[in-house]
Amino acid sequence: MTRQSPKIGIYGFTGCAGDQLMILNCEDQLVDLFHATEIRSFVMAKSDNHEGELDVALIEGSISTEEQAKRIKEIRDRSKVLIAIGTCACHGGPQAMKLGEGKFEEMYKKVYGNAKITISKAFEAQPVDAFVKVDMYIPGCPIDKTEFLGAVSKLVAGRHPYLYKFPVCTECKWKENPCILYAGRFCGGPLTMGGCGAICPSHNLPCVGCWGPTDDLNVPSEYQLLKEKGYKPEEILQKIKKFGGGKVAQLVKDLEKKEAKT
Amino acid sequence: MRELNVEALARVEGDGGITVTLDGKKVKSVTLDVHEGPRLIEQLVKGMKPEDDLNVIPRICAICTLSHRYSAIRGLEKALGIVPPEKAQLMRELMMLGENVESNSLHTFLLALPDFLGYPSAVAMLNDYADDVKRALRLKKFGNHVMAVTSGRIVHGENPIIGGFGKYPSKKSLEEIKLKSHELIPDAVRDVELFASLEYPTYSEAETVFMSVNAPNKKYGYAGDSILVSNGKEINAEDYKKLTSERVVSHSFAKRSLYQDKPFTVGANARMVNMGKRLDGQAADLFKEHFSHTWLKNPLYNNLAQAIEMLWSLEHMPDLVDEIAGLDDPAIVQPTRLTGSGTGAVEAPRGTLYHHYDLKDGLIETADIITPTAQNLDDIEKHMKLTAERMLADDKKDDEVRLGLEMVARAYDPCISCATHLVRLKRI
Repeated sequence: MTRQSPKIGIYGFTGCAGDQLMILNCEDQLVDLFHATEIRSFVMAKSDNHEGELDVALIEGSISTEEQAKRIKEIRDRSKVLIAIGTCACHGGPQAMKLGEGKFEEMYKKVYGNAKITISKAFEAQPVDAFVKVDMYIPGCPIDKTEFLGAVSKLVAGRHPYLYKFPVCTECKWKENPCILYAGRFCGGPLTMGGCGAICPSHNLPCVGCWGPTDDLNVPSEYQLLKEKGYKPEEILQKIKKFGGGKVAQLVKDLEKKEAKT
Repeated sequence: MRELNVEALARVEGDGGITVTLDGKKVKSVTLDVHEGPRLIEQLVKGMKPEDDLNVIPRICAICTLSHRYSAIRGLEKALGIVPPEKAQLMRELMMLGENVESNSLHTFLLALPDFLGYPSAVAMLNDYADDVKRALRLKKFGNHVMAVTSGRIVHGENPIIGGFGKYPSKKSLEEIKLKSHELIPDAVRDVELFASLEYPTYSEAETVFMSVNAPNKKYGYAGDSILVSNGKEINAEDYKKLTSERVVSHSFAKRSLYQDKPFTVGANARMVNMGKRLDGQAADLFKEHFSHTWLKNPLYNNLAQAIEMLWSLEHMPDLVDEIAGLDDPAIVQPTRLTGSGTGAVEAPRGTLYHHYDLKDGLIETADIITPTAQNLDDIEKHMKLTAERMLADDKKDDEVRLGLEMVARAYDPCISCATHLVRLKRI
């Protein structure tokens, strides 16, 4: 049986292009990737792009203008499977760290003043699933080559990819690193999705949370632990929200409310 | 009136387009439109501790991640009264060499070269130019490797921090860099020969002004505390605002810069114009062989400049690695003050990048980031307008004009993500 190579589109929205770059960084597999799939659109890498029906759309970046909101819906309509790649697409990324705080207009004015930008109307960045249904999330800042190539290989074979499902702490334990949190330093490990290989703790540095929240994150417990270690609530909140976007922001809000009551 | 559009400018980093407005054969305007949405990063880092800023600002751009990190570290260390230890300083130089090799090989081969040879992408070139494409991927992979060894990861490594590094690499991994960089030098020489053999269309030619950092000790390099202008002036990096007065335009979420009311260029070509005579090794020989007055007018030569620079970066790795391996790992240097200001200037592969910080009581009060692409945008439009005018006068077809304009824009190696979300409006 011959299987037709899947039609793939790779699109970038508001972000740093790091996840598309990671695809180009698969130097040893790049040629095979282009041969095993039919890459219909990848504006960052080629100029012969054809927009049409897709088997898989890979979306990097958050959505932050009306034009982008329209475009993501249009891509969704013609894609069988839509995959969010990277922290910005999955959770909003750093640009969504103040999501829901109502400060966007004020910050926007400080940057652009009253100048009229006619190209599109901007709003506070949000993750892709705030606009369209997302079938699969491959997080990372940037995504991990192995996880990405593994997922694509499975898709090419018509199978469902297996993705990391544990926090950074798990990988950190595998590496037998001494625990940074227990040493009294701020570490985002327990809250952050694993898959990076616990790079920062392996360099004697705390996890910065760049892969976004794990599915089973326990914010209250980390919050309590850090307070016991002498961290101020406002600093904890600021650090926790850096990459977490809407999901962590909401959890933090609930915590703040609870704090205010007690 | 009619419009000639390149809706999605391919093979650049970020989301941009080109619009040419025509009245008959007369070109009314040419704009590089930036569709990329705003992120307001400088506002988001306000009130943060310097260490937290370092996690966020590299995410401005994946290709220049280490340039952003290094520029911020330089600015923040000045503000905090920190003098970095020698080993940390040398490691930072090494990571910049790695980023230069990675980014220059990506841009010259994967993004720019297909235009010159008439292909839609580097992958499409494989049948006819397999050796060249594979060579480029080897160089790119090695650049990434150096970035990973020094910074902890290929993209957005967190290892370089204020006051030093989280962890210094092992002697073994440094030795590997030394051997491999030496081994790849012939590849880089071949690249220079290839880019020197290309035909560079002359439609875009016009005089301009070039800016780059002045690397210390009269050497070529990617960081410095003062800025060289090709008109002979030298300005302290702290006075960067004198060089980059900014404004907002309606067709872009990226701001614009002018110097003495005129557009200017930053990037590899500018570095060659200002510091090319300081090159050494084979890079110096090839620079002398190929550099001419045409480079001062034709932005397409930025591609050849990047190829020569990539060779210089490789040639400098072995000695640098030896120096690093000979030093003991220093402790992380702590701040001597918590209130102060500082500006960092580095050469990202695509040009001079400024990070300025004002700190009060250990927190960021203001952050001002000026990216190379934001500085280049006006000059890109100037050279594109001339290209459109001259190509139309030459009766070129629309598709040829489109390609001509794209080649000019691409030659600057624009980073649209970088250019977009930055740059605070200066109110007077």
